[in-house]
Amino acid sequence: MIKIALLGCGTMGNVHARAYRNIPNASLVSVCDIDKAKAEATAEINGSCAYSDFYEMLLHEDFDVLDICLPTYLHKEYAVKGFQHKKHVFCEKPIALCVKDAEEMIGMAQQKHLKLSVGHVVRYFPAYANAVAAVNSGRIGTPRLIRTTRNQGFPRWSWQNWYADESRSGGLMLDLIIHDFDWICHSFGKIERVYALSLKGKVLDKDHCMVTLRMQNGAIAHVEGSWAYPDGSPFRTTFEVVGTSGQIEFDSIKNTGIERYENTGSYKTVFSSPLCPSLDPYTTEIREFIDCVEQDTALKVTGEEALAALKIALAAVRSVQTGESIGASEAGIC
Amino acid sequence: MLRSRKVKIGVISFEHMHGLSYARALSSIEGAELAGIADADEDRGRRMAAVFNTEYYRDYHDLLDTEAEGVIICTNNKQHREVAVAAASCGKHVLVEKPFAVSAADAYEMVKAATVHHIRLMNAFPMRFNQNVLEAKRLIEEGSIGEILCMTGINHGKIPSGWFLDPSLSGGGAIMDHTVHLADVMRWFTGSEYRSVYCESGELIHNKGIEDCGIVNVQFENGVFATIDCSWAHHRNYPIWPQVDVEIVGTKGVLNLKAFGQVERIYDTEAGIIEDAVWSGSGDEGMIAEFAEVCSTGKAPVASGEDGAKALEVALAAYESSRTHRLQTVRHICLA
Repeated sequence: MIKIALLGCGTMGNVHARAYRNIPNASLVSVCDIDKAKAEATAEINGSCAYSDFYEMLLHEDFDVLDICLPTYLHKEYAVKGFQHKKHVFCEKPIALCVKDAEEMIGMAQQKHLKLSVGHVVRYFPAYANAVAAVNSGRIGTPRLIRTTRNQGFPRWSWQNWYADESRSGGLMLDLIIHDFDWICHSFGKIERVYALSLKGKVLDKDHCMVTLRMQNGAIAHVEGSWAYPDGSPFRTTFEVVGTSGQIEFDSIKNTGIERYENTGSYKTVFSSPLCPSLDPYTTEIREFIDCVEQDTALKVTGEEALAALKIALAAVRSVQTGESIGASEAGIC
Repeated sequence: MLRSRKVKIGVISFEHMHGLSYARALSSIEGAELAGIADADEDRGRRMAAVFNTEYYRDYHDLLDTEAEGVIICTNNKQHREVAVAAASCGKHVLVEKPFAVSAADAYEMVKAATVHHIRLMNAFPMRFNQNVLEAKRLIEEGSIGEILCMTGINHGKIPSGWFLDPSLSGGGAIMDHTVHLADVMRWFTGSEYRSVYCESGELIHNKGIEDCGIVNVQFENGVFATIDCSWAHHRNYPIWPQVDVEIVGTKGVLNLKAFGQVERIYDTEAGIIEDAVWSGSGDEGMIAEFAEVCSTGKAPVASGEDGAKALEVALAAYESSRTHRLQTVRHICLA
């Protein structure tokens, strides 16, 4: 049985806490949040102990894995603390805000012979995983044109509005569409060039970007992300993979299980696809990590892969700044 | 004062398959008459002339010698200049299929010929007459999504055949064929001119010796930016041919335009196909009606030769950027 301590009881912390209920060889022994009420609420999910101080938790709890669901700017600091106390680390995405921090986390995990994995969960969403399986079984030939979108309203729902603060979240490229960068890079090949357009800084409380990726195998990807939809707009993701002999399309609004229309003061539409635990992507990603820790096997999502996705996101940010494409070597992607 | 006589319009070539749809639209217009068909392919030309019950000419110059007020040019792209300039010099109004031309020099000559000979030159941009596009334009002008900030455009389709795949006749592949529709629509929506283009493209899917994929990134003078996916990305069993989608992000909202969004799905077991049949009309009828009115009254057309040249500039810059992998400043064709 692997014992876990969860740090950060916001949206993702609660998603992870619920995931542990369906991982038989994992026990969420404690949860911690500077807001004690939040910690107590999350602790109830698994009957864990609640803390509001990280050091108190370290002092009183015996655990193997530190699960970090803090805002991005705190990832490195707490991952390092985890490694210092001989804990394996599972960290929410993105791994960090800059290459240096990510490298420090990866280096320290290696040095201490501890495992570090990052929550690039899109790979585990059944629609995305099935598409890759279909591609790998040759159903559409060689993938050549990939389009993804990940669109929503401006994220105002977070603690201290930290998503909106570029210095803490990294903004749209690092926080949102890094999911698609990881999925594309992991599934379809390495990146040759990055070009990006973005609204960043042009309009208050809005961002929208389109990133064109050229892959080393010649394929082209168009990655779109939005924080420019009106408040209350349904979260929507789509992808299209065109191969040499076929194509695959997915749209989270069209291909959904539940459509919900509400009017609680303002009109709201929600589309969702509830999944059984064996298909739930958050459960799957954490279960795989726990198995790797327990059996000391190779990770499915490595720190290096998380760093590669971060480098693409940073290259996209840089392309917006310079107005030119950024090559793989300039972006440090090799 | 109503004209007693119907306006006479000829069709030059059915080399581009849109000629058929245009001829059909023309025959249904009350005040217009299909004055003749010229086609260097005699078999095709005679067949079409029989279908539409009109005169056939092997040499288009003979059609230009008739008293037709205007001609619709559906030759291959390369021939647009030669035929358009000849038609202009005979005093005919001209509707030329898109892309307007295959080079900046050709586009310049065509616009100049129209000016010199005082005829109206129109480029075939049926999207300007598509009801969904018109409604999007109205909503934008009404301010329903505020100021436009950026747009994502997709014009996917199946790969055409024949001369479309021969760059010496088509001027290029998917970039030449599919960039211009959305380049024109976006320019119309923003009311601004193109400043720069960055493009990644290549022959990626079909193995036909010509580029079939492209992501064209564009920036306008007013700061609006967009991408146009011009790829022939649909395989042969895709349920629909045309796909023209634009997501328009504004300061107050977002508008998702699907020019061919109104479909019903037909499952045909005999033919073994699933088809998304469009029931909303294409825009061709409105475009041909506009050209008939141009020929009849001499009014300036919606979607002029200049508009065609402006859209072509984007495709030409996209080819340039594809080669250099750098941001390409759009070279404006001198149309004065």
